[in-house]
Amino acid sequence: MDWDLVIDIGRLVVCVVVAYLVVFVAALANIVFERRALAFMQDRHGPNRVGPHGVLQSVADAFKMMGKEDFRPAFADPVVFTLAPVMVMIGAVAVQLTMPYTKGFTPAALNVGLIYIVAVTSFTTMAILLGGWASRNKYSLVGALRSAAQMISYEIPMILALLGVAMAVGSWNLNTVVAAQADYEWLAFYMPFTFLIYVIAAIAELNRGPFDLPESESELVSGYGTEYSGMRFGMFFLNEYAGMTIMSMVAVTLFLGGWHGPLEDLIVVGGVAIVPFVWFMVKTYLLVFALVWVRLSLPRLQVDQLMAFAWKILIPLGLLNIAATAAVILWVPRWKWGLLIVGWVSFMVFVGLFDPILKWRLRRQRERQPVVTS
Amino acid sequence: MPDHFVTSEPDEAVKLALERIRETTAAGRGSDMEGLEFNEVVVNMGPQHPSTHGVLRLVVTLDGELVKDVIPVIGYLHRCKEKLAEKRTYYQYIPIVDRTEYLASMNCEWGYVMTVEKLMGIRPTRRAEFIRVIVGELMRIASHQVAVGTFVADLSPLGTAMVFYMFRDRELILDLLEEVSGARMMFNYLRFGGVRYDLPAGWVEKCRQLMKRMPKLIDEYESLVDDNAIFLQRTQGKGIITQQDIVDYGITGPNARASGVPLDLRRTRPYSVYPELDFEVCTATHGDVFDRYRVRMDEMRESVKIVEQCLDMLPRGPVQLGSLRAPYVITPPPGSCYVGQENPRGEYGTYIVSDGSRYPYRLKFRDPCFCNLQLFPKLLSGNKIADAVAISGSIDLVLGGIDR
Amino acid sequence: MTLEIGTVTLGIDKIAEQLSGAFAGELDDVRVQEPDTVVARLERTKLKDVARRLKELPELAYETLNWIAGVDLGSQLESVYHVYSWHTNTYLELHVAVPRAKAELDTVTDVWPAADWHERESWDMVGIRYLGHPDLRRILLKDDFVGHPLRKDYVDLAENHPHA
Repeated sequence: MDWDLVIDIGRLVVCVVVAYLVVFVAALANIVFERRALAFMQDRHGPNRVGPHGVLQSVADAFKMMGKEDFRPAFADPVVFTLAPVMVMIGAVAVQLTMPYTKGFTPAALNVGLIYIVAVTSFTTMAILLGGWASRNKYSLVGALRSAAQMISYEIPMILALLGVAMAVGSWNLNTVVAAQADYEWLAFYMPFTFLIYVIAAIAELNRGPFDLPESESELVSGYGTEYSGMRFGMFFLNEYAGMTIMSMVAVTLFLGGWHGPLEDLIVVGGVAIVPFVWFMVKTYLLVFALVWVRLSLPRLQVDQLMAFAWKILIPLGLLNIAATAAVILWVPRWKWGLLIVGWVSFMVFVGLFDPILKWRLRRQRERQPVVTS
Repeated sequence: MPDHFVTSEPDEAVKLALERIRETTAAGRGSDMEGLEFNEVVVNMGPQHPSTHGVLRLVVTLDGELVKDVIPVIGYLHRCKEKLAEKRTYYQYIPIVDRTEYLASMNCEWGYVMTVEKLMGIRPTRRAEFIRVIVGELMRIASHQVAVGTFVADLSPLGTAMVFYMFRDRELILDLLEEVSGARMMFNYLRFGGVRYDLPAGWVEKCRQLMKRMPKLIDEYESLVDDNAIFLQRTQGKGIITQQDIVDYGITGPNARASGVPLDLRRTRPYSVYPELDFEVCTATHGDVFDRYRVRMDEMRESVKIVEQCLDMLPRGPVQLGSLRAPYVITPPPGSCYVGQENPRGEYGTYIVSDGSRYPYRLKFRDPCFCNLQLFPKLLSGNKIADAVAISGSIDLVLGGIDR
Repeated sequence: MTLEIGTVTLGIDKIAEQLSGAFAGELDDVRVQEPDTVVARLERTKLKDVARRLKELPELAYETLNWIAGVDLGSQLESVYHVYSWHTNTYLELHVAVPRAKAELDTVTDVWPAADWHERESWDMVGIRYLGHPDLRRILLKDDFVGHPLRKDYVDLAENHPHA
């Protein structure tokens, strides 16, 4: 009996179970967090009855969803219909396992962490497509296709942003990326435009915020989740919130210094420092709050506006950004300063010019619009 | 499609929609694919639906995402008001009039009360006229807050924030109206020849303070949405009401004014003390969704101006005609009469036929939303579903008035 | 061409005179109801023709239909049309009487498209059938309702309450 193999498998199982639990709990916490944050911004209370300050609200919601009648439409594909909601969380969990949480603890330290993240988040896209197809409902399929199209379109700017990080750090390894940001040399300060591109692409990947037409279209015609009810739908729903945490964690790791912060070595338990974990979570949840804030503040983009923005604006700008970053790193002797200047100049130009140009085009369109007579 | 999609017998409206699809298919119109069956689907945006404001049912014929035809089905809120009128005295009917366009109750009562006063040949007291204008304009602000708020809420989660801010401020107005009349929504306040209660002590001051704050609050709403490029893209150029539509269908109110037609009954058919007041008729030039939103926001500011003027000009005196105190039973002379007034949604009026008895012989409401809803098939066809939701929100429907 | 309101300033009395003159024999009992309405009676056979000509009058073009009311006057039914003229900013109220036995009238939807739903409501409530209407079915009541409620002889039938 090869005990080592058994122990290894046992450890693997435990890690996966723990990872799933962590993702679930994080997603549930996010839901309550979002509802309270939205309520705060809308001048009302939000859920505050269940548990102290309402923190157990999602637990109650989860019980409710689990108690619903579980049915499968007779004409839906039996295997895929059950498989799709199960598959949807794989991406989140897999990425969760590779994050550097604190000094000395990364559950699965991969040497190709960055590429791995991008590759594995495509599982969600696949699960949504399968979910829409398995429903055997024409409109669900169209909704799923549209959602998938949005997700793959926005993966490209995300990859471009990650490429910029890899170039600046010189490695795909997440631990190296975090280590490179010691002493407050956060990549967000050096490459703000790359950070911006990553954040926008991440929001679109999550089907969140102003990019949530695929899921809100279930006002009338179905989105991919119409035929799902109870916990099956709950999985799709939870995945969105799990993704929020994941994307924020990735952004924090890559751009906001990971677990760096003051008083790092204060409490060390068995080689694992505790305080940096706190910093990591604080930064992650600040970003999550920003995601909720963005969702509240912007009207929904229509599908054509969404795709146009990805292909005509984000991707060209992302490519230019990569080219500029690469040029600076290759040819400018003090490349950190070079990155700083290039980064901030491009950021200011984009932020400063985007809105006025859009408004100018809209105004011109308006002037050409004929005054209504008959 | 498999049979198990049809769960109930199609009713008249759905049958009509299917019939029209068959006609189009048979004629081969609208496409160069003659004789082929079209891939159109009849979808029911049923009476309970988050985007149709009120119990409105839209039988929508969709081709993919494009709306081909819309058949509105109404009557889900029909409460037989016109029949009720025949068994209620004129005074007993005032609370029932409140409940037609319940978001603009004061204005609805005003429309009814003016008609009866004209039938009887009496004029209200001067102080009551000013009070009516004040509460009418306050009601207009409150009504527009709901209308614009729910319209923006349809577009996005941003709108839900705007709705909450608007409702929070609407509470301030409703508090004022509650102090005056005792109710927050169904006021039962106007009487023939005046109003029921005089303004309580200190009310004028409170109203003045609120009117001083109001323009800043309106600025806050506009700052949330006006400058937003996404909002502009989604609303400009959509759902254009042409002037020919206005003439054909009798569209009135902000919907007409947004298309450049200065049709405001407060100016074109002046009533009450409006001739003495200084305010502008808000119009816009393009007639699209954004302009209707714009006109409503401008009208809120104009209403603030009107209220401030009235508060300054408020005369002393009685608020009811002495001759019409209790027992509150009036018998207008036989005859018929129609008076329309400017409701926040358009021209609202009642046509009353009196036979000299204490009950109206026939009472008919002219409801602005009823006429505006007729435009839906023409307005929504050819747009995508998401646009259709935005356009229907901008028309500002209240089913209470449509169905009565 | 922007729609303008009240460009022609004739007094309401002159308008009544003009109408009596232009439609002598067709419009009876033309009187003025202050401040801006002319009320007239019209015979049912002449409705369609007069409607079309009213819309096409040069100065007083009554282009917009405001509402149509069905009234049960006891001895007969009546369809009241309230039309608006943009140029003069005045209204015209036409009363068209219809016998109870044969409650039929020509539709005016081809003259004023707004009449569509108003006529449906009149049919629904009072039971005046409008011949030539593109889609005359009930609008406020359920499709299989029996009876016309706003008639004075309406009795609430058991068929209308299957679930009671």
